[in-house]
Amino acid sequence: MTVPEPELARTVEALLFLSSDPLSPAELADASQAGEGAVMAALAVLAEQYAAGRRGIALRELGGGWTFASDPATEDAARRLFSRPRAATLSPAQAETLAIVAYLQPVSRPEIARIRGVSADSATATLLDRGLIEEAGHSQFGAVLYRTTTQFLKLFGLRSLDELPDVARWDPTPEEQAQLRERLLRAGEARTGGGPGADG
Amino acid sequence: MCASAWASGPLVGSELYGERMSLAALELDLEVFSGPFDLLLTLVLREEVDLLELALADVVLAYLDHLEQRGELDLEMATEFIVLVAALLELKSRLMLTDEEQELLDVEPEQAAEELLARMLDARRYRAAATHLGELLAGEHGVRFRAAPVPVSMRRAIVPDLEEGMGAAAGGQDPQILGEAIGRLLLMPPTISIRHISTLRVTVAERLSHLRRLLRRGSFSFEEAVRGADRMTVAVTLFALLELYKRGEADWEQQESFGEIAVHGPAHQARDEVLTG
Repeated sequence: MTVPEPELARTVEALLFLSSDPLSPAELADASQAGEGAVMAALAVLAEQYAAGRRGIALRELGGGWTFASDPATEDAARRLFSRPRAATLSPAQAETLAIVAYLQPVSRPEIARIRGVSADSATATLLDRGLIEEAGHSQFGAVLYRTTTQFLKLFGLRSLDELPDVARWDPTPEEQAQLRERLLRAGEARTGGGPGADG
Repeated sequence: MCASAWASGPLVGSELYGERMSLAALELDLEVFSGPFDLLLTLVLREEVDLLELALADVVLAYLDHLEQRGELDLEMATEFIVLVAALLELKSRLMLTDEEQELLDVEPEQAAEELLARMLDARRYRAAATHLGELLAGEHGVRFRAAPVPVSMRRAIVPDLEEGMGAAAGGQDPQILGEAIGRLLLMPPTISIRHISTLRVTVAERLSHLRRLLRRGSFSFEEAVRGADRMTVAVTLFALLELYKRGEADWEQQESFGEIAVHGPAHQARDEVLTG
């Protein structure tokens, strides 16, 4: 790859500055009328210029594109300026709902409720409100399906959904499973065996 | 199983009815039973009267007659009656369910435990995933992104005139520009013509006469009656057909679900036609 014109690096920098959403190399190439290869080279130049510790701004690859983000070290000052924290943390219910959507998307609300064992209505509404999930069509039974958004990837520092670890890694060990099964069966027997046959 | 749970309920003891003026006074004269209401209940629960053969609507009608005779509504008695009839309805609808569905409802304890286990594992998995997401989010603490304002093209109000005016007045605002802005808001927008949208008008009366015309010519299929018609017309025609059936002017047959519906005049009329024609 030839050394890109410094002009292209400046153009890409400006585009990233103007956009509030991550820009993909294709989008950058399209707007700056350059090849994707040249854009990638320009991004590499920028990445060096914005290397950690050099600026108050960092160049991040997130949510399928590139975007500028503030250096976390500046957070205290930013909070004083905007007088509110960057994003409220998630409640356990919201985090669980978000995890289910992230791994099983597209997924419907009844399905989320089935997995969690409790209703997910309010958590889903909050996540929608915060732009972390969005509607993605309807299931064959007519329920609205949900998926995660670019905003989700951005806020969680993910380049793409592939960066989420395999969900099987949190499966309990076979021993734990056996124990759980044993306990359930015993509870079931206690209920069916000991129930009063109150026929009068 | 339902009946036994029911019999032990507090509502059915006849001593409850004997004391005060109550449902016991409701005399019934039905096809399969005649006597007081509480006796009917007892017989149903002992399975001496087949609930499937008992028309509950008639019981309700008898109660309404009874109400009319008494001329006043005893709220307590009415509540009692509603509870009892609702329970009878539920019992009856359960009886009407086929065995197949019954099997679906009864799950072996072992199978139930397996299902529960699978669900618990699922829930555990995603709860752990949620913790992981929480950690990711915490790891991004302090990272902020640019929040660009809504582009001009998407803003509700565009005020280039105002901006120009403010520039021209060099620091001072030209009140005339504000006047123009409010003036535009006060104008009534032109009414949008909806002449090209025609209202669908299909009346039952119209479809009734259509069906009667067809009936006069003999029998016909529902398909024929609605050939080429839009959905609304088809629906209204079906209402009309139901109306004809109710009035005894027509009868119909359908061999299978979604099959053809053959419509003809009532049986006696057909016979008359054979005799006269």
